Amino acid sequence: MNRPLRIAVIVAMALAVLAPVGLVAYQSFLDGPFFQPQTTFSLSAYEFVLDDEDFFEALGNSAMIAFGMTLIAVPLGAILAFLLVRTDLPGRRWIEPLILVPMFISSVVLAFGFVVTFGPVGLVSLWVKGWLGEVPWYLYSKPSLMVIAGLTHVPHVFLYASSGLRSLGSDVEEAARSTGAGPLRVALTVSLPMIMPSILYSAVLVFFLGFELFGLPLVLGDPEGILVLATYLYKLTVKLGTPSYQLMAVVVVAIVCIALPLVWLQRTLLKTANRYVAVKGKASAVRPVSIGAWRWPAVTLIGLWLLVTVVLPVSGLVLRSFVTSWGEGVSLAGSFTLHHFKELLNYPNLVRGIVNTVLMAAVGGAASVAVYTLVNLAAHRWNSGWTRVMDYLVLLPRAMPGLIAGLAIFWVFLFVAPLAPLRQTLLSIWAAYTLVWLAYGMRLVSGALLQVGPELEEAGRVVGASPWRVSRDLTLPLIKVGLIGSWLLIFVTYMREYSTAVYLLSPGTEVIGSLLVSLWGTGAVDTVTALSTVNIALIGLGLLLMTSFRKHHHG
Amino acid sequence: MKRHLSSVLAATLLLGAAPVWAQGTDASIVSAAEREGSVTIYAALDASEALELVRGFEARYPKVKVDYNDLSTTELYNRFISEAAAGGGSTDLMFSSAMDLQMKLVNDGYAQPYASPERANIPAWANWKDQAYGITAEPIVFAYNKRIVPEAEVPKTHADLAKLLAEKTDAYKAKVATYDPERSGVGFLYITQDMQADKGTMDLIKALGKSGTKLYTSSGTMLERIASGEHAIGYNMIGSYVRERQKRDPSMGLVAPSDYTVVMSRIAFIPKAAKHPNASKLFLDYMLSAEGQKHLANRSIGPVRTDMAADAELVPASARPIAIGPELLAYMDQTKRLKFLKDFQRAMQGK
Amino acid sequence: MAKLIIDDLHVRLGGNEILKGISATFQQGEIVALLGRSGSGKTTLLRSIAGLEQPNKGAIRIGDAAVFDAAAGVNLTPEKRNLGLVFQSYALWPHKTVFENVAYGLKLRGCSKPEITARVEAVLEGVGLGHLGGRYPHQMSGGQQQRVALARALVYSPPVILLDEPLSNLDAKLREEARIWIRTLIKRLNLTAVFVTHDQVEAMAIADRIVLLDDGRIVQSGSPEELYNEPRSLFASEFMGVNNTVKSTVREARGGYVQIDLEGFALWGRNCGGKAVSDPAVGVIRLEQVAVAHGEAGGENTVRAELETSVYLGGHWEHVFRCGELSLRAFGKPLKAGPHWLHLPPEQLWVF
Repeated sequence: MNRPLRIAVIVAMALAVLAPVGLVAYQSFLDGPFFQPQTTFSLSAYEFVLDDEDFFEALGNSAMIAFGMTLIAVPLGAILAFLLVRTDLPGRRWIEPLILVPMFISSVVLAFGFVVTFGPVGLVSLWVKGWLGEVPWYLYSKPSLMVIAGLTHVPHVFLYASSGLRSLGSDVEEAARSTGAGPLRVALTVSLPMIMPSILYSAVLVFFLGFELFGLPLVLGDPEGILVLATYLYKLTVKLGTPSYQLMAVVVVAIVCIALPLVWLQRTLLKTANRYVAVKGKASAVRPVSIGAWRWPAVTLIGLWLLVTVVLPVSGLVLRSFVTSWGEGVSLAGSFTLHHFKELLNYPNLVRGIVNTVLMAAVGGAASVAVYTLVNLAAHRWNSGWTRVMDYLVLLPRAMPGLIAGLAIFWVFLFVAPLAPLRQTLLSIWAAYTLVWLAYGMRLVSGALLQVGPELEEAGRVVGASPWRVSRDLTLPLIKVGLIGSWLLIFVTYMREYSTAVYLLSPGTEVIGSLLVSLWGTGAVDTVTALSTVNIALIGLGLLLMTSFRKHHHG
Repeated sequence: MKRHLSSVLAATLLLGAAPVWAQGTDASIVSAAEREGSVTIYAALDASEALELVRGFEARYPKVKVDYNDLSTTELYNRFISEAAAGGGSTDLMFSSAMDLQMKLVNDGYAQPYASPERANIPAWANWKDQAYGITAEPIVFAYNKRIVPEAEVPKTHADLAKLLAEKTDAYKAKVATYDPERSGVGFLYITQDMQADKGTMDLIKALGKSGTKLYTSSGTMLERIASGEHAIGYNMIGSYVRERQKRDPSMGLVAPSDYTVVMSRIAFIPKAAKHPNASKLFLDYMLSAEGQKHLANRSIGPVRTDMAADAELVPASARPIAIGPELLAYMDQTKRLKFLKDFQRAMQGK
Repeated sequence: MAKLIIDDLHVRLGGNEILKGISATFQQGEIVALLGRSGSGKTTLLRSIAGLEQPNKGAIRIGDAAVFDAAAGVNLTPEKRNLGLVFQSYALWPHKTVFENVAYGLKLRGCSKPEITARVEAVLEGVGLGHLGGRYPHQMSGGQQQRVALARALVYSPPVILLDEPLSNLDAKLREEARIWIRTLIKRLNLTAVFVTHDQVEAMAIADRIVLLDDGRIVQSGSPEELYNEPRSLFASEFMGVNNTVKSTVREARGGYVQIDLEGFALWGRNCGGKAVSDPAVGVIRLEQVAVAHGEAGGENTVRAELETSVYLGGHWEHVFRCGELSLRAFGKPLKAGPHWLHLPPEQLWVF
């Protein structure tokens, strides 16, 4: 890409990001909805929020949960990555796709799965109660929330740590083994420290995700009224009777204020990452570290994590979709029913919703990857102020909790005249998804791009190819596998995406995730579980696809 | 029954016979609606629950297509005022259980009046100046788990509930669930209605607080947890949902308190900016018609019509409907609202 | 006619001045080695010629046309310079076959299919890989990959071909063969070639002319013999060959010669650094120029030293002598242990 084109792409992206974010920031300085004529500039929203003890309670809880979950997710994710990528752990090829599952299930649904299994009268709780006479945990407490949030964010760390480990030469580990270090020691003193930048990067990401946690606290924090920033937004509306956009905007501004230093931190970490580069363009074949007798404790650890984080809640959820009732004193066999699924068939927009979801995930996901690739190429091998600005921009949409992002994007489509005709089409939902997942998708694609040695592209230039031809003929084909991998990850992400689309839905553009949210809101738990089961089945299909693709590619 | 009904309907239409209940809506409105060809509805009622109603309408007026959007009450409100501000709304009918938010929109002048021919058949409290219509009458009840609460202990009045909790505090420790008025708009509405109906409500709240009552944001979650036995009693539950759940879950119990039973109504209004005002009027009439009400009743949503046999267990003599009118806006005043919430919190903490 | 002219080139990368004013002229058909340590700027110079780095001052001309001229605001993109470049890592595109790798440059130039096939086959034949066009790079040995890289750079007949450490990824045996092979090929095609290396032996073996760089400046430029036999600086002398080095002060200066001291022995050497009496000076002499004087002792420019050890290098011996604090090395026939007289010819002892 040449310079004007690069700048054009970055400016376009900046506009797309800044329109909704800027709107929210502007809204925070008003005393009413920005679209109402009698609204004036005011700092009253800031005064209200900063004077509200609930805000500080929510902020404190969010910080605590973010911190706790980072402490849990990072070591676990890093160890898991080491075990699966660098060792001869039995069955690792099968375990790997399973690890990502928590990322792909809507957190509201997953949280509900936890209620069915680990709640006070959950299936596992009752079983344990039969043994011990009491349930030794309480699901609706802050520590539980922290642990579950931690466990379900292991995949994020895993994703970054494993890609770091994959590009690490085996020689460093072999050198350590030959000096007599055991596998655990190798992991802790050699492999993981070498990918420290990736791990720290993911730690910062998880910490940040902790601040915008929504689904888990919505469900698990409900009975005890545990507030976090995202659920505080809801409370604000009810407390004042009508939605107060300016107050919500202030909370978003607060989250942005937390996010910006974190981006700075990430950038700094990535800069120092260059010091560690043991990572060469042509990685030699990776020889797994043999872990011998350690394999069984390792498999047990992974199995336990999978059981608690994935298998049990998902089974609980699926089970719930087949019974009329559950809990203490209920015979599950006697409650068996297919009614919820029949009810689902009755759902007027269901088929359309499923079709839309699959379409959005498959075609929309591919289009998003194309956008992410374009933006990445615009910044590719270009060290300039523009790219620095871009790093900060991409994270901004993520700083808005999903519902607010959805509302802000809805406003953009509503009030920007040229966009208005697109509002009631799938395109607007696609734009919203693409924007909200910008940071994530950008990172996926840039991961693939970083694997391409610069000289491969320079060789193209010297041989006579324009920058555009280099991108088309060399860079893109070279990262094809990485792009397909990114597409699969985006595919499953879009499959479970919710909240963002709520405001953009109109008849004909329903997607499953948003149906789930609206059903959850109206309390149709039966239908929610049945729909989630369908959703999980679809995601499972996606995962299967991913695994077979990976195997194909490895083979 | 319902399948039978619809096949009769279909047969009627096939034969080209004049629809039986067509005398309701003015013929000119019907033909204008058919020219408009569609009606867009924003509703806070689950699409699956409204399915029968919508299909019934479309069967009767095949030339009017229904675009039914279900959203949460807050989303509904946000979307409506945003679209109104952007000039020209995209909805023809607003239908929501958030009575206060609906009333606020009507009060702010977003609604257009329409004298429905069905207004004679609905109670006065369900019609405000022909602008806002209450479509349903749904009691706010106690739900309980029959496996856990012995028949003898089932509270019949609000005082009973307070007494039960006071006497058996330990047995019902953390076993009661209700809306959190701080986090649920409808919960706020119901508890403030209780306050108006009964001076003893504060004592009940204190009893709730003492027994470690859990506060929730959604009725679905509460019902789920009452059904599972995690909780035993739900206070201020929406009767229609409990009723619907009872159909498949034999252990779900329901009591409409005999001292007084708050009855809420889902409010519908036609926005001034409606693009299909005639189709909207037609749909409103249909919702209020005996046929439309029947469809809703099939999903346990109580009819508002005075001429329809009310579910005696659900709507007892003690019914205390929430009147549709500006009184609903009393708590839109921030100071008053925050003060109530403070009082509620203090009562929950036993102060 | 000069093919490639570099005029007062300055390059600044990330705040560091890498090239501090390079001027050089490369003739048609000449093979030039850019020689220097790592960090001397040789690769930056090569990349600047290719257009992969942007200088901030100076000019680069190929033939009559400027491809870069800071003053005139000319900066052709790499693809417009029509050069051939062989990368150190070869940078073969892993997703293309050997044939496709080589053909890409022709395709970009809009050649017809039959022409591409003919020219690619010819050039692959030329580098001895005529039969391997259908393979992928990862299916080839390092030596073969290097030939593909060269073929890719040659196929569209660029006026100048640039090579970045072309031999560094080959093992020792292969490297020696490749030196001769590359030189022969380039000469046969009568190409102008510039290549970067840090190995003076390689530079001397391949190049017609060597440009020695240090710290972003040209230290000396000339034929391999000139650089080896007549280095103009201590740096050049040390870089180009293996030396004995003596630190001393100038005792006497006469004609082009000065006298220095080696552990009490007075030695005359060529005054290469314009030294005057009592200046500190360094005497340098190539190992092969130190002769063991058999029989008679003393004599002009000789020192007495004790043989410490001898190493057989195949064909000849390398002796290590000790003379006071200093150790001196020399080649020669086998010697007995004990004291020997070493002759250091004045014209071969350079004083800087």
